[in-house]
Parts: sequence; C-alpha cells; structure tokens
Amino acid sequence: MIRFGASAVLPGMLARMSDERMKMPDNVIPLMGGDTSGDAARRAETLLLVKVRDNGDREAYGELFDAFTPRLRAYARHHGCDAGAAENVVQDVMVTAWTRARLFDPDKASARTWIYTLVRNRLIDQYRAGERRQRAYDGYATTLSESMSDTDSSERDLRSSRLSALLVELPEEQAQAVLMSYIEGKSHREIAEELHVPIGTIKSRTRLALQRLRKLMEDPV
Amino acid sequence: MNAIHHPSAAWLLDYATGNAPPLFETVIRAHVGACADCREEIAFAENLGGEIIAAGGFVTTGTLKAQDICDRYEQQDDGGTPFSRADEVALNGGIEQFVATYLHSSMEALPWRSLGGDLEICRLAEEHGAHMWMLRGQPGTILPEHTHGGSELTLVLKGSYFCGSDIFHAGDIEDADEDTEHQPVITRDGECICLAVTEGNLRFKKLLPRLVQPFIGI
Repeated sequence: MIRFGASAVLPGMLARMSDERMKMPDNVIPLMGGDTSGDAARRAETLLLVKVRDNGDREAYGELFDAFTPRLRAYARHHGCDAGAAENVVQDVMVTAWTRARLFDPDKASARTWIYTLVRNRLIDQYRAGERRQRAYDGYATTLSESMSDTDSSERDLRSSRLSALLVELPEEQAQAVLMSYIEGKSHREIAEELHVPIGTIKSRTRLALQRLRKLMEDPV
Repeated sequence: MNAIHHPSAAWLLDYATGNAPPLFETVIRAHVGACADCREEIAFAENLGGEIIAAGGFVTTGTLKAQDICDRYEQQDDGGTPFSRADEVALNGGIEQFVATYLHSSMEALPWRSLGGDLEICRLAEEHGAHMWMLRGQPGTILPEHTHGGSELTLVLKGSYFCGSDIFHAGDIEDADEDTEHQPVITRDGECICLAVTEGNLRFKKLLPRLVQPFIGI
C-alpha cells in the first residue's frame, strides 16, 4: 500500500477548500488548529443541536452557527457557487437547521451529518433549478505531483484531523476518488474521465476506499 | 424484497452526494427505497460527508447572523420529509407503485412498442445523453447480446432474468458499463418488466439488432 508522506493528495484537496489558490475573493482562512473535527467536537455539536431541537436554545444555535457557517460557505464555494450564491445556500441551510431542528434524531446521525444532508439537498435543488454549475477554479490539478508541492500550514492542521488520519490509511488514488466526489461534486464517471482511467477502475477504487473507511471509523485502532 | 444485486459503491456514493445524473438517480432511488443494505451504505456516505465538511476549510466573509435567523423564523413543530437519503420511503407496493410514483402514469398508459417476438419497449425519458426505458418480455425471451456505450443500470420491477450465472430478481439492479458484455435471458417463471437507464447507444454483436437499432433509438 502506498501511504501518504509528508504531503499528499488528501491534505492538498482539503486545503484547497480554504486555499487562496482556489481564487476565492473572500477572506479565507485555514482550518483552525487542534482537534476541531474529532470525536469531542462531534459530540459537542450534536448536544448543541439537541438543545436547539428540544428547547429552541438560541445560544446553542449561535454556537452551531459559528461552527458551521464558515465551513458551509467554503463547501458551497467549492461546489461552484459564487459568493452571493454561497451565502444563499448557507442561509437556507442554517434557517432549516433552526426551523426544522425537530427532525434531528441523534440516534440516526451526528449534527454534522445532518447538516451535511441539508447542504447536499440544497445544492441538488440548485443544480436542478438549472443554475449554471461552475467550478470555483479552473484547471484544478489532482495529480500527485502538484499536491506534493502543497506544504502550507493549513495542511499541517488538516493532517491532525480525525478524517485525515483515516484517509491517510488509504492508497492515494482511493482517497482521491472519494474526495473528488465530495469536495468537487463529481460523479464517478466524471472522475474517471478527468483522471483518464477506465470507469471500472474508479468503481473499484471507490468500493475499496469506502470499505476501508467504514472499517476504520467503526473499529478505530 | 431483499435485493441480491445492488448498484456499485460508486453509484451509491454518487447518489449520497447528489452527483448522480437525474435519470440514474431515479433508478437508484427506487432500488434504495426497498433495500435496507443500500440505505445503510448511504447513511455511512452521509456520515463521511459530515466529517469532510467538519475537516474542510473556512470562508469567514459573510453577512448572516444567527440572531437574525432566530428572530425572523419560527421553529416548526414536526412533520416534513427526512433530509437523509437513507430514509427514503420504501416502495413495497411493487411495479404499479413505482409507475405511479415516479412516472405518474400506469402500466397500460405507457407507450409500448414491439421489438418483435415477445419483447416490448417504451422510451420514458431522455436527459443529458441518457435514456430511460421500460422493457417487458415474456418468459424465455432472449435479448440480443450487447455491450454499452456508457453506464447502464437496470432495475427489475417484476419477474426475473439471468445473465451468465447471475439471476436478477425483482428489486435487483444490474450495474453495467462499457466493460460489460451481456445477453439477458428472461427466466421461465413469468413476465419480466425492467426499468433501464443507458448512456450512449447499446452495441449489438449481431447484424439484425444493429439494423433495427436506428428505428428504436436504443
């Protein structure tokens, strides 16, 4: 198995979500240091959302809002929204998180998973409405060679996250297939075409990646 | 309905992330609605999506304020459709429910065309180079051997067919692509009805189907 070294595809791809090389005009900062994406953070977010659900707790909502709006904004931008469209997406998602919090079931999903489903659904609606799906960047390179040159501080922070710790357990090409799906919003056929590999190869990489990730997430070492 | 054959992990990920083309999405949704295994896969993919957002970047410039949202909007008590694609409503009512739910039609109202012999076809939709078809064949019907110009998902709605050593029953999906060469044969158990979405044209091995192909458009 090829392991990620000091620099690799994953940190580069995640870093691009907050990287000036995406040519985002906004003030973009890298992920804060520390374990902001790990188990403790996930539990804390979920407790906040339960408070919003059960008590209409505005303070808890404010904390959730502060934790998620910058990330959702970055996610929407990466999916091709300009600044205004991204703001609309984030607003819709956070309004839904407030008004429909009663639908949240912590036995089924964490707060971040639930919020992911909100932004995913909102972006699908946007595409279906015929809004032009533009990439936030041109000529995005997914090659290892380019990623090898990414060694900025945001990557170091990202490498400390739990997700990164899991993804580094994958061969690079498997992590790349998964991340292109989530972060770039591409279908497996689009990924195959972009990487110039047979469709069966992407199917295989995706299957192996998800199998491995599931095992790692369910049975952490 | 306990499906044995499922969409590949790549298709399920496309579905969970919202990246599947719409016609393919319809076929996958119909399968997922009746397949607990795939709903679990989708729930996992949504978990991963949450982790990726949590691990991703920040864009701090924005005008939204939490307080404004709380002031302007009332919390709703209950009801509404779940947001997770793992909570799709099960389609336990079989083919008629599928046709009514997704096609807003009935089986008899569909514009069937004969392909000769005991095989009928109905073109339901076309979008972004993909076509959605309904196929109906009588027991023992042998379809022409073919490969594909792109992806193909076939959902069995009624009956069963086999390809090589694999048998596909109601609820199963056959996931094929340009690397797949197959010749479906309807089992002798009864009529078989399938919903298929194809990209590009099928590539028939024998001359006769190739001659007929332009008139059908498949």
